[in-house]
Amino acid sequence: MMAQSVPHQTTTDMPQHTNPPEKKRVKVYELRNNDWHDRGTGFCSATMATVGNGQKEPRVKVESEDQAERVLLETKIIKDDGFQKQQDTLIVWTDNGVDMALSFQEAEGCTLIWRFIDSVQQTYQTAGNGADDGLEDDLAMDNMQATIHLPPPDLRSLAELDTHMRAMSGSPAGRDALAKAILSEDYIGKLTPLVEEAEDLESLPELHRLCNIMKTILLLNDNNIIEHAVSDENVLGVVGALEFDPDFPEHKANHRQWLSSQGHYKEVVAIDDMMIRRKIHQTYRLQYLKDVVLARILDDPTFSVLNSLIFFNQVDIVQHLQSNATFLRDLFQIFSNPAEHQLRKKEGVLFIQQCCAIAKNLQPNARQALYNNFLSHGLLRVINFGLRNADVSVRVGATDILVSMIDHDPHMIRSTIYRQLQEKQPPLTETLIDLLLVEVDLGIKSQIADSLKILLEPAVPPEARADFMGPQQRARGLPPPDPQHDAFLHHFYDNSAARLFKPLIELENKANKISVANEGVFQYLNDILCFYIIKHQHRSKYFVLEHNIPQRFIQLLFCREKHLQLVAIRFVRQLVVLQNEFYIKHLAEKHILGPVLDVLIKTLPRDSLLCSACLELFGLINKESMNDLIKHLVENYREKITSLSHMDTFRDMLLRYNQTDGFTNNGENYFVDPEEEEAGRRPTGPGGARHLMEQLTVDPAQEHYWDGSDDDDEENQHPATSNGVSPLKPLVDYTSDEDGEDGGDAVMTGATSPKDEQGKENQDPTAGLRSGTPPPPERLAEKRRREEDDDDALEQLVHKRRNSTSSVDSNLAARSAGGAGSFGGSSSGGTPPLRNKKSGFGGGSSGHGPRKITLNIPHSTSTLTVSPSSSTSATYIKSAAAQAEAVAEAEAKAQGESGKSPPPATEVAAAAGDGGTNTASGSPAADPVVAALPDATE
Amino acid sequence: MSDLDKAIETLRNCRPIPEAQVREICHKARELLIEDGNVVTVSAPVTICGDIHGQFHDLMELFRVGGQVPDTNYLFMGDFVDRGFYSLESFLLLLCLKVRYPDRMTLIRGNHESRQITTVYGFYDECLRKYGSANVWRYCCDIFDYLALGAIVLGASYTLPPPASPDIELEVRNANNSIMSNFQRHPNSINKIKEQDQSRQDEMMATNGAGEGSGSSPGKTGPPGSGASGYSSGSVGNPAGAVLCVHGGLSPLIDTVDKIRLLDRKQEVPHEGAMCDLLWSDPDEIDGWGLSPRGAGFLFGADIVKVFNHRNDLSLIARAHQLVMEGFKEMFDASIVTVWSAPNYCYRCGNVAAILELFEDNSGLGILSRSNGDANRSDGGPRGVLMENELAAPHLGPARRYRVFQAAPQDSRGMPAKKPVADYFL
Repeated sequence: MMAQSVPHQTTTDMPQHTNPPEKKRVKVYELRNNDWHDRGTGFCSATMATVGNGQKEPRVKVESEDQAERVLLETKIIKDDGFQKQQDTLIVWTDNGVDMALSFQEAEGCTLIWRFIDSVQQTYQTAGNGADDGLEDDLAMDNMQATIHLPPPDLRSLAELDTHMRAMSGSPAGRDALAKAILSEDYIGKLTPLVEEAEDLESLPELHRLCNIMKTILLLNDNNIIEHAVSDENVLGVVGALEFDPDFPEHKANHRQWLSSQGHYKEVVAIDDMMIRRKIHQTYRLQYLKDVVLARILDDPTFSVLNSLIFFNQVDIVQHLQSNATFLRDLFQIFSNPAEHQLRKKEGVLFIQQCCAIAKNLQPNARQALYNNFLSHGLLRVINFGLRNADVSVRVGATDILVSMIDHDPHMIRSTIYRQLQEKQPPLTETLIDLLLVEVDLGIKSQIADSLKILLEPAVPPEARADFMGPQQRARGLPPPDPQHDAFLHHFYDNSAARLFKPLIELENKANKISVANEGVFQYLNDILCFYIIKHQHRSKYFVLEHNIPQRFIQLLFCREKHLQLVAIRFVRQLVVLQNEFYIKHLAEKHILGPVLDVLIKTLPRDSLLCSACLELFGLINKESMNDLIKHLVENYREKITSLSHMDTFRDMLLRYNQTDGFTNNGENYFVDPEEEEAGRRPTGPGGARHLMEQLTVDPAQEHYWDGSDDDDEENQHPATSNGVSPLKPLVDYTSDEDGEDGGDAVMTGATSPKDEQGKENQDPTAGLRSGTPPPPERLAEKRRREEDDDDALEQLVHKRRNSTSSVDSNLAARSAGGAGSFGGSSSGGTPPLRNKKSGFGGGSSGHGPRKITLNIPHSTSTLTVSPSSSTSATYIKSAAAQAEAVAEAEAKAQGESGKSPPPATEVAAAAGDGGTNTASGSPAADPVVAALPDATE
Repeated sequence: MSDLDKAIETLRNCRPIPEAQVREICHKARELLIEDGNVVTVSAPVTICGDIHGQFHDLMELFRVGGQVPDTNYLFMGDFVDRGFYSLESFLLLLCLKVRYPDRMTLIRGNHESRQITTVYGFYDECLRKYGSANVWRYCCDIFDYLALGAIVLGASYTLPPPASPDIELEVRNANNSIMSNFQRHPNSINKIKEQDQSRQDEMMATNGAGEGSGSSPGKTGPPGSGASGYSSGSVGNPAGAVLCVHGGLSPLIDTVDKIRLLDRKQEVPHEGAMCDLLWSDPDEIDGWGLSPRGAGFLFGADIVKVFNHRNDLSLIARAHQLVMEGFKEMFDASIVTVWSAPNYCYRCGNVAAILELFEDNSGLGILSRSNGDANRSDGGPRGVLMENELAAPHLGPARRYRVFQAAPQDSRGMPAKKPVADYFL
């Protein structure tokens, strides 16, 4: 039950005196027929009211604000009312069976009233059951002193104090009382002198007791206590006590020494406000407490208390700095004053770096304000100064500043670059490019590479950004280009691109000699270029073809460093993944794949990373049925392919080529002899690899992954829809796993599959085991997809056929790779006939009549009679739907996960902050897995 | 090499080494790791270790209990970093040892060997703290990408080394090398194994003749992906069946060990797919596959493990990834074991740690066995093995010795704490 909050439109106009401090403005609600009924607005107070016979009882009273005498609510706090505080401003309970709610105007008021109610309730609890009336008189809002008496703080009573505190801290009420007593009697201040006293006496047991007591006190996780402990007067005593940890009797930490050496604090521009200075020191001490002193013993609540104290301090500090114009002016003047000492400039950069690091934790609007203020005072000049500085830590600082701003809002920096271009200044990107090529510091290099990617990324409207998984966004088409950005890109490709990729372009004249010093740059160039290829389609294409980039990368294959060879393979893979006609043509014309094949042959039969990367690439070509490339490979490297044909991938390629005479015939004969195909497809024989695969392959999302194993691919899975360039249309379309997915869909429409029948027929020795292996849990997306299928004739037929069999194994079959589960070894899946119809059967609608098609099934053959008039478009529609579903599913998965994963007991609180904040958004920045990773036990 | 030895010495004292040296070592390690397949082959004897999680002093204790590095052949199953306060020293020490003694040290990747995870769970912060920049973290993350995804242990013995009785299948020792408990194979099992051995050999002759796995090149120990790799389909050199080591577990996309070899592993651990599953999945008491509460990977049941082991001629899967209070836990009739090597995890869990020792087969017995998933085995755990004896079922896996140890004594390691940031402006 949750009431709406009070509309507070009158708040500000209200004269202060009408709102006495102990009376809190509140709206009273009552639940009637499941609706919250507004009983009026008034002022709330909670007191020990004296009732008729002189006894006192705790009451909550609300007097109307319109008519002072009218009492909107007067209720006695009794044990069973179930008072609860919800959110910050709500208190709800049940009054004689009626659900009531108080909605406070301010959280503070709510807290005050709640504290009273809570203390009353705790008294009930501690006083034993049902002691409704046995209340003590001293309970009231203004008189909540603890009733406990701690032993006096001196060395003799430490043991007693320790035991006492330990016992108290066992219960919530005890902790509360203890915390109050410690604060009100300034126990911390009284304990700290004892540390030195005990040190003088060299009394280790006393020191250990002091340490234990101090730990107990801090772990009460009371905000006020912790703030008190890190105050100037107490902090050294507190950490001093903690230096003697009885867990490490042989050791003494040196916290006092660390904290008291003042050298750590550096002040670039004097901060005059004493309060802020104090906060800065306090924050540092809190961090020290959190990371060093208490690191080993911190429990989650104390960790979060420390974190929030740090956070609020930082908010205040940043707020103060950015609103302090004098300060900002002084700060940025450091950089405009040529006479200024280099060291001070350096510290200025590091100071700003630290500001930006802190700003990352702030609310976006506070961060925005800070950056805007910085920018208007000349932050770009500082970055420029820093990036070109000889001192590496200054360059690191400047890069960090830049990156944190780009992370916050790349458009902010982009628009600055546009302005620079208009003013004919060299844009920031130029500086970055220069730096990337010469920088030796790895961190700077990789951050700059990332910046260069993000800055050149076409600005995407936020809603499109949300589904970075790819297909959907791509299906909708790319957002309309921003003219400014377009001009920027134009400028970039005209002027900067060749400079950026110079090391690569220059390879042409270097005859495979690569200087070791600069070898690291290729990996970044590859990253950047792959990104540009995806994002800037025609511009990057022109650039790549003009400079013959693929061949330059191929040159890397001939150098000795294997990690550079890997880079080359990565680039080729990127081009292949795009399935773009131009690139494929280019790959074939320039014989790019030949050297890759050579690398594979050279690395075999030893199993190495290089070898796996090559195999993955060729596996991809085969799986995606990129017939032009297969044709190119077989025609040009038949011998090599044949020599590799003991591997499925290459045998497949040969087979496909041979059976279609190089993809020239209409594919009829591809189906003439399915047995042969079948035999060829399953080299591993009975019990071979495929069977289990069919069982276990999970779902389209997985399948998706399988089609391309890295992040880049996900963006490029679907060139047909994404690039607006029609995919290559071979005469005959062979099945791949992707096609199979469609086939799988067809099966799913029926919600059943012939699996069972097959199971019976099949003589596979593992059959027993297999049928006992249920499929991975089904996901929603698949169910939905089934319902979405349209009613075409084939589907209908398939339906009927399927319906006759049990449904138990349906998912299993449907999920199987390549639709294989239902229709056959993954090459001869259900789809080829469907797709073929268009080309191969030549206009199926022209009255061919029913036609017999033989389909392969892993262990038996079944014949389906289908009508050729079933539409191909249905297949395409479905595959698009499948892609969309896959995305939705992935997101749903991420969401579901965050909700369901309980914080494990062993979780170190460090994770707490990140758990599931980004989960649902699915935006490019928010990584669904990381956000949701509960990291349960390991 | 003396530089490297110096670095090892520095790291053994739990002190970080300079950034430039980290870079150099990472480059050397890269050259080595790039030559490894996705599944590394390791010959017994080998000591298999689970998660370390930056608990440097406990890693030292592990070496004390298990033997120092060139003397003992180690296989670490990932999760070297995060959580503990000495991820950097722990990982770099292991990496240095890898570079120094490549044949005596195998490192495979865990789910924490990832950029995304380390930024959340501590390794990133630690590097930042200790070096003032994230560069060392970046070097390490680059190396993570090169780590193998799994390992296959070949040639593990069916018996423990003398003086242990040849009947002993499993032995648990404490840190002082005293035997805590041991469990015998059923007396009948040896005979059964001998019989099976014979039939197995016959069978193998037949299958090899038929060229199982590789139609066109029979008998060839083929390259990855061909299904012709000797150890994934044949049994030569696997007296007690091969042992697959992987950080997390199985994947629905991986039905044979060979399939792992077809992954391009040099990448950040993806959010889904085979590579992700291998590092994230957990065995569970379920049938088939289940969604993992971790948000990545899957849960898999006994049936999955048995089918997989059967198909790949494995007798055991060793994995880490889950805290086990007793240090190790055998499940599903000892077809899979979780090994956990971080005692008192996070300095507070109160668990003990374990390492698993497998021995070299020099009995000359030449027992060839296959781990049929349908064998009637124990129900897991040391006690389970005892029950298995009562059940009188043969046990065909390799002989296993677990060494269980506790967290390093408090005094030996100073106070675990993070290094504070030195200078501050704010």
